[in-house]
Amino acid sequence: MQGAEAIAFAAAESGLEAYFGYPITPSSEIMENLAAIYEKGKYGNFRVFFQTSSEIESINMLFGAGASGHIAMTATSGPGLSLMAEGISYSFLSQVPFLIIDVNRGGPGLGNVEPEQSDLSFVYWSLGHGGTRVIAMSPFTVSEAMTLVKKGFELAFKYRMPAVMLTDGVIVHMYENISWKTSEPLRPEVSWSARGRGNGPRHEINSIYLEPKDLRAVKGDLLKKLEALKKEAAYECYYCDGPLDALYISYGISARIALDAVRDLRRSGIRAGLFRPITIYPFAGEALANVAKMAKKLVTVEMNEGQMAKIIKAETGLEPEGLGYLGGEVPRLEEVMEAWR
Amino acid sequence: MEVKQLSTFFPNAANTYCPGCEHGLLLKFIGMALEELGVVDRAVMVGSVGCSTLAYKFINVDYVQAPHGRAPSIMQAIKLLEPESVVFAIQGDGDALSIGLQELINAANRGIPVTVFLYNNMVFGMTGGQMAPTTPNGLKTTTTPGGIRYKYLGPPLDACKILSGFDGVKYLKRVIITPRPIYTKDRLMYSSKEAIESYRAVLNALKTQLNGGFSFVEFLGTCNVNWKMTIEESKKYVHEVTAKMFRPGLCRDEFGVEK
Repeated sequence: MQGAEAIAFAAAESGLEAYFGYPITPSSEIMENLAAIYEKGKYGNFRVFFQTSSEIESINMLFGAGASGHIAMTATSGPGLSLMAEGISYSFLSQVPFLIIDVNRGGPGLGNVEPEQSDLSFVYWSLGHGGTRVIAMSPFTVSEAMTLVKKGFELAFKYRMPAVMLTDGVIVHMYENISWKTSEPLRPEVSWSARGRGNGPRHEINSIYLEPKDLRAVKGDLLKKLEALKKEAAYECYYCDGPLDALYISYGISARIALDAVRDLRRSGIRAGLFRPITIYPFAGEALANVAKMAKKLVTVEMNEGQMAKIIKAETGLEPEGLGYLGGEVPRLEEVMEAWR
Repeated sequence: MEVKQLSTFFPNAANTYCPGCEHGLLLKFIGMALEELGVVDRAVMVGSVGCSTLAYKFINVDYVQAPHGRAPSIMQAIKLLEPESVVFAIQGDGDALSIGLQELINAANRGIPVTVFLYNNMVFGMTGGQMAPTTPNGLKTTTTPGGIRYKYLGPPLDACKILSGFDGVKYLKRVIITPRPIYTKDRLMYSSKEAIESYRAVLNALKTQLNGGFSFVEFLGTCNVNWKMTIEESKKYVHEVTAKMFRPGLCRDEFGVEK
């Protein structure tokens, strides 16, 4: 199945109720696949498919859908994500859940439509004004993209905050065998949502706190929530059970190439390993620090100017060597292999 | 007859609007209309940004605070997913016609049944009286201390004129919410005609939504503080100047709710 089709399928299977989107390369196939699924009408929960007038409208419709307690998502790329930052900030403070698939293209600006991982800093550090944080995940296979769509919905509703799946045109456009277990669609607990108060007290989905003490209290609660979120940090480690000549650290499509490099190096007797963060935020810093103790050298492989290397330094204090690929190129296997020295 | 115990207003909420402002009147009319139609329990209010934001302190219904100008997008999403809800927003002219014009006209074109109440006081009130797209030539603002130069900025933007171009809009009306000053021999009084008309417009807009149509009402009001006028002067200004520029009247009533 193609990545875009698989992501759309997984979303519908997981209980997606509404898709709001604006076309942008290289994400549009996800939207088109969801349009086709919606048209067939097989999924009773999937009640709204909506092409918006801009990414600003997309994010605010996601905000409305999440605020009324419904499972909603969009797919976009960097320029769209920039426009969404305002709405994501409101959603973070108002504690509104939804899922954004960011199919990272070459940036900044219009850049190009080739794959990059250059939205990482934007998504990890603060995807909006005022200290906004979002759950961020990055799949390295089509199958994993599918499980992360479901996971994204689960985490977004569990922690009531926006979640972003960081991916790229390679994952979204390649064909791979997939495995998917059909299960009951998600039914998150949404007693907090605003959809008419009935006879009870009203629900407020609010991001205005005019008194400093009120805003401070709410932000304190959010920080506690982020602390609790840490336990959701997920990663995979390959060949991490003994001393290492080099530990590669890579995620998403770059990790595919890094894993090939590690396997090739192993065959020639070099003790290489791969640490692959699955969630970018929260970041599995503790786990990485433990594995790094066994390694002579740390090398990051990513399709940007070294954005994850900076995150690793902030999370663990470690300073890996960085192998960065800019402009829309995927890492070259030979170069990645050479980097162990 | 069964008597509902629902009350739309928070008791003891201190008024945070400036003396002379008609925002409070509008909120009262909305609350009264929700109660009259018996839809308090399924109402969702979407807050905008500006003085209209403060509505959440007074009206006791489910509430979502939108970013600046984005209330129509949020309303449409809620309505699509919760078709039984009664969704409305109170927007200012800065919110709806400047930063939020794209969201507004797309909503109007689609005609998803939601309601926008526009309080037009021709300035950015909350931020301290800067120029709005509706500011007339004669009014000085903090960002146009020399007055508006139409040559660069164009004439005031007319919301009803814009929205009348969309078939999706099923109820479109402009009313004056500012009471008209009446001068008698020995004292100043205010007319109640505007209040009655404004209340009816709120009611009819919500009725239109209940009938499945998009509705929009523009209320011509004051902002005496930012207009640098006394309350009395500002109320005269609305009737003598504003109402000549933005003509009040019924633009569309597709479902005949006014009858």
